[in-house]
Amino acid sequence: MKIAVCIKQVPTREWQPRLNDAKTWIREQDVSYEMNEPDAYALEESLRLREKHGGEVVVCSAGPARVQTVIREALARGADRAIHVEHDSLGGTDAFVIAEALGTAMKDEHFDLVLTGLQSDDQGHGQTGVILAERLGMPSSTIIMEVQIDGNALRVKRELEGGWFQWIAMPLPALLTIQSGINQLRYATLKGIMAAKKKEIRKAALPDGLQPTQQIVSLAVPTRSKQTHMIDGSPAEAAKELVRRLREEARVL
Amino acid sequence: MIAVIAEQRDGRLNRATWETIAAAQQLAGGMPIKVAVLGAATGGVAQEVASAAVVEVLVAEHAALEPYTPDAYASAARTLIESAAPTYVLLPHTYQTRDFAPLLAARLRKPLITDVTGITGSGAGATFVRPMFQGKLAAQVKPLGGSPAIVTTQIGAFRADAAQKGGSASITKIDIQIDPTTVRQKPEAPFREAKQAVDLGQAERIVAVGRGIKSQENIPLAEKLAKAIDAEVAASRPICDNGWLPMERQIGSSGQTVAPKLYVALGISGAIQHLVGMKGSRTIVAINKDAEAPIFEVADYGIVGDLFEIAPAIIAELEKS
Amino acid sequence: MDPTTSTSRETLEVDVLIVGGGPAGLSAALRLAQLQQGAGRSGPNGPSLQVAVLEKAREAGAHMLSGAVLDLSTLRDLIPDYKDKGAPLVAEVDDEDVLFLTETSKISLPIIPPPLKNHGNYIISLNQFVRWLTSQVEAAGVDFFSGFAGEDVLMDGERVIGVRTPDRGIDKHGNPKPTFEPGVDIHAKVTIFCDGVRGNLTKELMRRLPLGDSRHPQQFAIGLKELWEIPPDRLKAGSVVHTLGYPLKHEEFGGGFIYAMPHGQLSIGFVAGLDYKDPLFDPHMAFNRFKQHPFVSSLLAGGQMIRYGAKALPEGGWNTIPRVYMDGALIAGDAGAFLNSMRLKGIHLAMRTGMLAAETAFDAVRAGDTSAAGLKAYKERIDRSAVRDELYPVRNAHQAFEYGLFPGLAFAGVAVVTHGWSPVDLQGHPGHQRMKQLAWYYGSRQTNVDRPSNATTIDRRLTFDKLTNVHFSGTSHDEDQPSHLLVHTEVCSSICGPEYGHPCTRFCPANVYEIAHEADGTPRLQINAANCVHCKTCDIMDPYQVITWVPPEDGGGPQYNGM
Repeated sequence: MKIAVCIKQVPTREWQPRLNDAKTWIREQDVSYEMNEPDAYALEESLRLREKHGGEVVVCSAGPARVQTVIREALARGADRAIHVEHDSLGGTDAFVIAEALGTAMKDEHFDLVLTGLQSDDQGHGQTGVILAERLGMPSSTIIMEVQIDGNALRVKRELEGGWFQWIAMPLPALLTIQSGINQLRYATLKGIMAAKKKEIRKAALPDGLQPTQQIVSLAVPTRSKQTHMIDGSPAEAAKELVRRLREEARVL
Repeated sequence: MIAVIAEQRDGRLNRATWETIAAAQQLAGGMPIKVAVLGAATGGVAQEVASAAVVEVLVAEHAALEPYTPDAYASAARTLIESAAPTYVLLPHTYQTRDFAPLLAARLRKPLITDVTGITGSGAGATFVRPMFQGKLAAQVKPLGGSPAIVTTQIGAFRADAAQKGGSASITKIDIQIDPTTVRQKPEAPFREAKQAVDLGQAERIVAVGRGIKSQENIPLAEKLAKAIDAEVAASRPICDNGWLPMERQIGSSGQTVAPKLYVALGISGAIQHLVGMKGSRTIVAINKDAEAPIFEVADYGIVGDLFEIAPAIIAELEKS
Repeated sequence: MDPTTSTSRETLEVDVLIVGGGPAGLSAALRLAQLQQGAGRSGPNGPSLQVAVLEKAREAGAHMLSGAVLDLSTLRDLIPDYKDKGAPLVAEVDDEDVLFLTETSKISLPIIPPPLKNHGNYIISLNQFVRWLTSQVEAAGVDFFSGFAGEDVLMDGERVIGVRTPDRGIDKHGNPKPTFEPGVDIHAKVTIFCDGVRGNLTKELMRRLPLGDSRHPQQFAIGLKELWEIPPDRLKAGSVVHTLGYPLKHEEFGGGFIYAMPHGQLSIGFVAGLDYKDPLFDPHMAFNRFKQHPFVSSLLAGGQMIRYGAKALPEGGWNTIPRVYMDGALIAGDAGAFLNSMRLKGIHLAMRTGMLAAETAFDAVRAGDTSAAGLKAYKERIDRSAVRDELYPVRNAHQAFEYGLFPGLAFAGVAVVTHGWSPVDLQGHPGHQRMKQLAWYYGSRQTNVDRPSNATTIDRRLTFDKLTNVHFSGTSHDEDQPSHLLVHTEVCSSICGPEYGHPCTRFCPANVYEIAHEADGTPRLQINAANCVHCKTCDIMDPYQVITWVPPEDGGGPQYNGM
């Protein structure tokens, strides 16, 4: 099976947001990066599928030069080779541009299965995978918790609201967006890290003329312009007043 | 014109649609609003949404739209949009929308702005507020590339009861063609699974306990309060470290980040590690003995006092009704 | 380590293993790469040395913290074209001041004491500098393994044959998880230990081999630091301020530092000797008090603290440097106590000793003799180098401070003038032994052991509680792993309370240690290991020496961006 995994490099979860002067993006100096968490689960899933069904896992990423770090991490965990659409402008662009860039680079590989994370920890549009599927001419299904393959038949378990799930059958080739927690992530071993240095990373050019479909006008730390209403009185009085306010003002009861 | 795509299953309207209608009414700035209902047998859904202050309800029924698949829904929505030519298409940001809206956007080659929590301005030049970096930042986003722009509204960000009712909009049946062979997904019936892990991220109400609960024997008090308001129980880090509640119930920088409609912090001081996990909650109630506790800085309602007296009083008050 | 878990343990063979990706280790790695290129030994035409660097942080530089003002001498030797290669030298030192502080005022010393003269040096962020140095090392083709710590030294008799990395995938109860992987045994002809101040492997080496014999006991200080953003024009970039006096008592060693960078970025910190007598002293509180001094608080007014961290420093100087060569191994950097406590500088010395270790290792591997005799040349190189020129004259300075602030200053002053001539070398004492028991220090006075003796107000704007500060260190550890702080807790529940009042709850700058009480009032030590910033203070300062720091799993720890 030829499996592709699309991964994104995002600022680490522990990071405190600092804005650039124009307040249109984050300050990139001193930001630490890591592999987008849902993508890490997608990668792990692809490695397990390869272990079961044979084939190769190709890691694909679009971004500036720095994304090499997460590509190498993916190779160290066991991916066979990589495709990197490299361009400085890809660091903060939208899902449309990323999907087009990846689609162009991946088209001729004719993958059987493409896995992506369900959304990224930075912009979190939740669109790149599905748009990519359309560009590659594949059906897609999102927020997948389990993948079963039998020959050319694919059956996936999709997560719904409130503890509901649903199995979906699709033909291959197909694209799935993977939910975090679907499996347990393996560590990259020392030997894996060393082997990764010798694995191929094919550079692909950014197609001309790609336009983003949205623009960040400004970014801000969300401020709660809220008043704290302190409720006094005896416990019984305070309780009564609180319940009243929660019912009538906040309407959460 | 703004088109709101309602969500229904088996003839039952998803309440979140009302939130999206409210958002559309805020966005409209004079533009007319139409609501589209897609499905196979949508029953009384059209009537229900026709009571909103909108000009028309468009019903697009086709056998291929049941059960839901992204291919069929994207196809039907596309037909509707291409004939109606709206400026904006609004949907609630449900799991279903997340599944087919990107496909719709990809086929139309139009912008899709997801998980919107606010709208700035109205009409054609409006911008949309959406969370980024896991809620650490809020972005004002502008669609580029012409109409329609597709926008999905975050569940709970707009108030369903703020949707203006108006009377009766006309209901129009729209004829749509869907070639079933283009529907590549074959879904089976949805099923419920016994929850293996607690997903506090989905809880609408949470009661969280901190060190103020003093001992494991007192946890049932928090559980009782949680039951009274139909909430999940959660905890700050020290409680989980002690093993008084399992690790999956931890809220904070080393646990989960949640933003429920209601968060009741019982005996939680509000160390920053905990705050970053819950300060996005819509309504925060803090009960703590210490008036200086940092939790009060993020609370909407605060009671300084003994939680062992106040929590039972709240339970009693709730039981009255 | 349980030997039964060593099923299917991988082994890796290298020529030179460098443990620690700080300035010492990276300089050693880069120097080895340079020597190989110079000797035409890299590439297909000759056997090349296999060199590997182990760094416990998940990302290069993440655990690096320092003031810092860099003496460029070693950088010039290691990377002469450092400017072209983009070395991140943030601001050239432009304005210097040494202040003596009282509680409310300050006295500017009329002349800068020579050790604190920084003209020609550069303010840097060690985290950024190490990230850059790592990129140089990787570009030179050296294997850099981040997220891998050294847990045990592998020995064959008296010979060091390599290092074992920790097992991964063990849950907090010690049971293997599905992702379990045993640690790797890395065998090397020469292992260069650059595992930093109170490095866990160097500590093990000094226990197993008589490296400390006839050397003075090691001495330490703790450095606490914050990165602030203040209004940009308030303090000129390149300004360097050092302070003495308040808030420390005369019997306590230490002082503050303030380094101004462009765009209103400020490095501010406080160093306190880990040899204080008062068991109720809290170094983190001293840092808070320092910030409350009118001079400092006016500097920080309206600003924002954006990062926090802490690390110990090796303060003992030349006479406390252990034997740094042995069969199969060398020690460089802070791990070998190569720090000039008078100048508050260690980075250039770490880099220099790393380079010298690399040169020694290179020669020894090629000559086929990596025994202690073959590696002794390292000591000889050090003795001939700028390292000795700098450290030998001030070898007694830190020890003199045991007699108090003014005797210490006087002695240091004399040492500078006489280039270190002294009739006798002052023997220092390990800092943890200098801590007095409550009864001795406080006599019959009432003491509240729940409050540090130097407690001050916490407003969470200028001054912070440890838990809030820790949040800004970016520290995270996988929760489901055994505690990496090994403590013989019988002491905690019996004698420590009455004798010292649980000083770990005070000297740890990260709120790792808390004392809870059982139903019957017995104290119980609670270890919040996930808060640990890897400063090593607890391993150093615990009066009973019952705390052992071992590396946590899989790269966890602080995220010292910009520090």
